[in-house]
Amino acid sequence: MIVLLLLAILVLLTAINVPIAVGLGIVAVGAILVSQGPQMLPNLALVMYEGATNFPLLAIPLFIFAGAIMNASSISRRLIALCLAMVGFIRGALAIVTVGVNMFYAEISGSAVADVAATGSILIPAMKKRGYPKAFAAAVCSSAATLAIIIPPSIPMIIYGAMANASIVQLFVAGIIPGIGGGLALMATAYWIARRNGWPVEELFSWKKLWHAFLDAFWALFLPVIILGSIFGGFVTATEGAGTAVVAAFLIGAFVYRDVRWKELAKSAIEGASHTAVVMLLVASSALVGVYLTEQKVPQQMAESILALTSNKYLVLAILNVLFLLLGMFLHSAAAIILVVPVVMPLVTAVGIDPVHFGLIVTINLGIGQQTPPVASVLMVACSIAKANVWEVTKVNMKFIYVLLAVLLIVTYVPEIPMSLVHFFYR
Amino acid sequence: MTVLAACRKALDRLLQFILLALMLAITLIVVYSVIMRTSGNAPSWYDEIAAIILCWVTYFGSAYAALKRGHIGFEGLINVMPPALRVAAVFFGEILVITFFVLLGWMGMRVLRVLEGDGLVSLPWVPLQLVHSIIPIGAALFILAQLLSLPDYWAQARAGMLGKKDGDEEIKEKLE
Repeated sequence: MIVLLLLAILVLLTAINVPIAVGLGIVAVGAILVSQGPQMLPNLALVMYEGATNFPLLAIPLFIFAGAIMNASSISRRLIALCLAMVGFIRGALAIVTVGVNMFYAEISGSAVADVAATGSILIPAMKKRGYPKAFAAAVCSSAATLAIIIPPSIPMIIYGAMANASIVQLFVAGIIPGIGGGLALMATAYWIARRNGWPVEELFSWKKLWHAFLDAFWALFLPVIILGSIFGGFVTATEGAGTAVVAAFLIGAFVYRDVRWKELAKSAIEGASHTAVVMLLVASSALVGVYLTEQKVPQQMAESILALTSNKYLVLAILNVLFLLLGMFLHSAAAIILVVPVVMPLVTAVGIDPVHFGLIVTINLGIGQQTPPVASVLMVACSIAKANVWEVTKVNMKFIYVLLAVLLIVTYVPEIPMSLVHFFYR
Repeated sequence: MTVLAACRKALDRLLQFILLALMLAITLIVVYSVIMRTSGNAPSWYDEIAAIILCWVTYFGSAYAALKRGHIGFEGLINVMPPALRVAAVFFGEILVITFFVLLGWMGMRVLRVLEGDGLVSLPWVPLQLVHSIIPIGAALFILAQLLSLPDYWAQARAGMLGKKDGDEEIKEKLE
């Protein structure tokens, strides 16, 4: 009963635009006062401090910083040129290039919003210039950017790993097959739409051109090899891999390509720190609520009441999928993970779902959530760049969302596909 | 430039400087530790210090995000409320946010008194009081940032335009 009251207060506070992190803090203070009395209030400061010193989450600012360095140099331009040289001869080439570039970018960046801002600002105007409808240009860019959080590294996976106490490296490995498969399926959908509409090819295929584009982008392509190679090779942890990413991106941008725009880099680093802080404040205040929920055994009680209805793993997965899809429509992905994952984990383990498999399911769900209004961070950025109406873009985007939903269903019900690499390397 | 705008700019610059320095510090510490570990001399203080800096990024960055009104919230409902209710809701929300951080800062000060004389586990000469001082400092900066950004937020709320102007500016900045 008290838990429902606290939830109602949180919803009410969110409705009047109190930041969710602060809303959680206010709810937790109320819970501490009611259950333990005012003498326990100093715990507020202690838990808010401890909650923000979550070591694995150190990878978030570092991956954002690495992405900022890439965006401040010519890496995206070089990757686009390479993709064009590879698939420019296919009908609807620019749309396919958009997906391809996002797949490359995803191997270095872990944020879909950063990806759509970096690639969309070049590719959406280019598509509009070649006669693609602006709603389509925004839709394909937005959906392709979702690959950033499925293909490693991935910031939502890092947050999930920290919240669920699951291996971040194994989560990264689990994302490889669905990320590549999803990317190819998005490309096929873009090609199908382009053929139906008779959209143009860009350039004739030439081995010479491809070779030059490859040489031009060689170091940009080498970046994911350094980052993912060092993490998957077991030389460094995910956090240290993120640090390596910063240094590698800096060396390539500043000394190989020599075109880092320093002012922009400093600004992006500060913005990155600010985005990290927004997530970390949520983590800290959720730790505060977590203390109360754990004391009251709320996650266990919730697990028991659902298990009383069904202990069928597949049915529980369906319920959790619907829950996360709905949450994704209204909540930022980080907030959804931080708020819900600790509460549902006892249920997940009770029905025998692998925490790494579940982390991948949550990530894809929230990736779809970034495409579905009213709260759709990635879609909004794409719409703003294209100057297109959100609902018109969503209508076109539905075809790509169906593809992502198909990926989600396969990942959920055929875990052997995403988990095969995890089993091969780690178990 | 009004006094308010000058104060806002000064706080913005100060927080930007601190955040940039902390980001560089985190990167250097992580890279230094990786290099030292490969040469067999992993520093014992690495985990503790890196996590502390992350905590500092959290609270300095939270104040910076508050100055830009960038914390995750849901402004959709406020925008569609009738004007009188909208103003009341925003006023109530602001009071709650400031009260929470006053309480956090106050409790943070009480914790500091208890920690007197203690040091870090890996570097005992670093006082815990210094490390934990981020809570009252962060709370005070958050309140200051919230108050300095209040006039613009208030005007946007009254016009039913919460979140819309900032969103466009953010996109423009990214496109530049």
